[in-house]
Amino acid sequence: MPDDTILVGAVAYDPKAVTIWEGIREHFADQKVAMDFVLYSNYERQVESLLARHIDVAWNTPLAHALVWRRTRGTSVSLGMRDSDRDFKSRVLVRKASGLQSIRELSGRTLAVGSRDSTQARILPLHFLKKEGVDLGRVKILAFDTDVGKHGDTGTSELEVLRALHDGRADAGTVGDLIWVTEQAAGRVDPTKVGTLWTTPAFDHCMFDAPPGADRGKCERFTRALMSMSWENPRHRRVLELEGLKQWMPPREEGYASLLEALDGAELR
Amino acid sequence: MTAGTLAVVAIDGGDLPLGGGLLALVRPALGLLGPGGRLAILSSDPALQEDLAAWCRVEHHDYLGFEPMEGGGRCRHQISRGPLGLPHPFGPGAPERADPSTGFAPLGSRVEPGGPAYPFTLLERDRVMPPEVKELYEQATSSQWNAARDIPWTGVRPLPEVLERALGQIMTFLAENELSALYVPSNFLPRIHPAYAETAMFLATQLNDEARHIEVFLRRARSGGGSLGVSAVTTSQSLLSLLELTDFSEASFLLSVLGEGTFLDLLKYVERFAPDAPTAILVQKARADETRHVHFGMAHVRHALQRDPALYGRLEAAVRRRAASMSQAGGVPSPIADALTILAAGGSDPRAVRRGHDAFRELLETMHDNRVRRLESAGFSPEQAKTLSDLHTPNFM
Repeated sequence: MPDDTILVGAVAYDPKAVTIWEGIREHFADQKVAMDFVLYSNYERQVESLLARHIDVAWNTPLAHALVWRRTRGTSVSLGMRDSDRDFKSRVLVRKASGLQSIRELSGRTLAVGSRDSTQARILPLHFLKKEGVDLGRVKILAFDTDVGKHGDTGTSELEVLRALHDGRADAGTVGDLIWVTEQAAGRVDPTKVGTLWTTPAFDHCMFDAPPGADRGKCERFTRALMSMSWENPRHRRVLELEGLKQWMPPREEGYASLLEALDGAELR
Repeated sequence: MTAGTLAVVAIDGGDLPLGGGLLALVRPALGLLGPGGRLAILSSDPALQEDLAAWCRVEHHDYLGFEPMEGGGRCRHQISRGPLGLPHPFGPGAPERADPSTGFAPLGSRVEPGGPAYPFTLLERDRVMPPEVKELYEQATSSQWNAARDIPWTGVRPLPEVLERALGQIMTFLAENELSALYVPSNFLPRIHPAYAETAMFLATQLNDEARHIEVFLRRARSGGGSLGVSAVTTSQSLLSLLELTDFSEASFLLSVLGEGTFLDLLKYVERFAPDAPTAILVQKARADETRHVHFGMAHVRHALQRDPALYGRLEAAVRRRAASMSQAGGVPSPIADALTILAAGGSDPRAVRRGHDAFRELLETMHDNRVRRLESAGFSPEQAKTLSDLHTPNFM
């Protein structure tokens, strides 16, 4: 049976995912675009469903996007991203009392890191440190593997890293700069105890992915309806705030080069 | 400095880190700028470049970079203010039509865009806020009195039983009607957009007045060994038809112009024939308050009629609908008619009762004449005014 409804997959990293996607579905309905959503409990299942074409579009983390990209040899279709997904950076934070002055001194010291599937709190900061010549084999890694499967969406592992830095369990720690500035702006960071040691190069974050050869009409309707959401519209704003953006942006691929490089040689599902 | 209008602002951030208080200087400074306006931040915090750039990305401002200052250690960072979240001015004057998404923001404040729409439905200045409301509110606040302190209750003496019963009936009737005057405006108060808060605040004084009147009327009924009288079906029907009104102008017209207007004559009558000083004083004080309510109702209706001539027809239709719903009712409810007659007679002596009966008939004529006068003053023709007055509820309110 032909069906015009665009089926979007998203991971329920928080109960608010329901509110967000019901809000987006309502907006799509206003735009006369039939859309429904399916919530997954983890990104691995969502990626498999997308590749099996059970869903038309997946709202993917950078790791899930990179996995789709590799599995389809770059033939998947990227549809859009949040403004906040662009030029993301990670921080290597330092506990000021540790005396660390540079990432070159990390050898023998304790580095707190986020979940093993968090791009911003583990995969890329460790990748960039290695590229800077840091011998990770000589660094004591204190890992917070919370909410595995959610690819760091919940931010819980990054908050654990911040806590470990504040209470002295770690000398340094890796977090995304979104958590770093929002925690600072909310007054939850003690600047006398914790500061930045190093900032990674920029990379891009989440992406809407469609499988290779996806229905062009559906892709066009999806991006048109998505991009028409406005921060100045109260109903849209509620959804945008919950999803952590002010404006949807067109896709771009160059921001994932470092992640694809980091995943090279790694065991991929 | 006017918010959102400057092109360039500079602040000295000392050595404050972004998360260590600097934002308390940065955010208000950005508030002074319009979109594209430049903020320069002098700072000696070495981590600021990265943190400010990341914060600007999250907040949709452009971080333009930094340059070292001469004299060592300090840098000048520059931000271009982004276009989002710019608060827009609300007021200072009350707008002709109010936007429900300004919520409870006070007039004169600046409102961030994107707030939720509130369920206010009274959104037109001309239908809600007559120009006189500010003056009436000031009068109301300076004329508040206290039911316990300002009535010489010790002057209440036991009355002959027939007179005591009549007074208890009159006080019951007054309290019952004032309860409706407490409830009816309460229906409209939460629907008034806060751009017209002066009207809401005036209504609050009116509600407080009604509460005090209810208190003194009931207290007078029970003082001197008396008790409350009867609540008549005609009164109940009449007050329900007021409570069921959904249009603010219609309610103001029926309650304040016609109802409370008629009550002024009733209160004057009770004052004239009051059996003791406390009774005379309390109705005289209540009448002063009611006069203000009638002024507000007149101002509201007159102002709305001047801008919307079709309102004449709607107000007339409202009076006719109410009269139709009351068509089964006879004249003035008999318990109150009898009590007013006995009050004017001062007792049960038949010759005095004849005089009391004449006074009561005279009261009805006075009420009609004054209603016609008020209706004409609101802008109705003499014929319309007479017809509407004749159709007014026999319950007075």
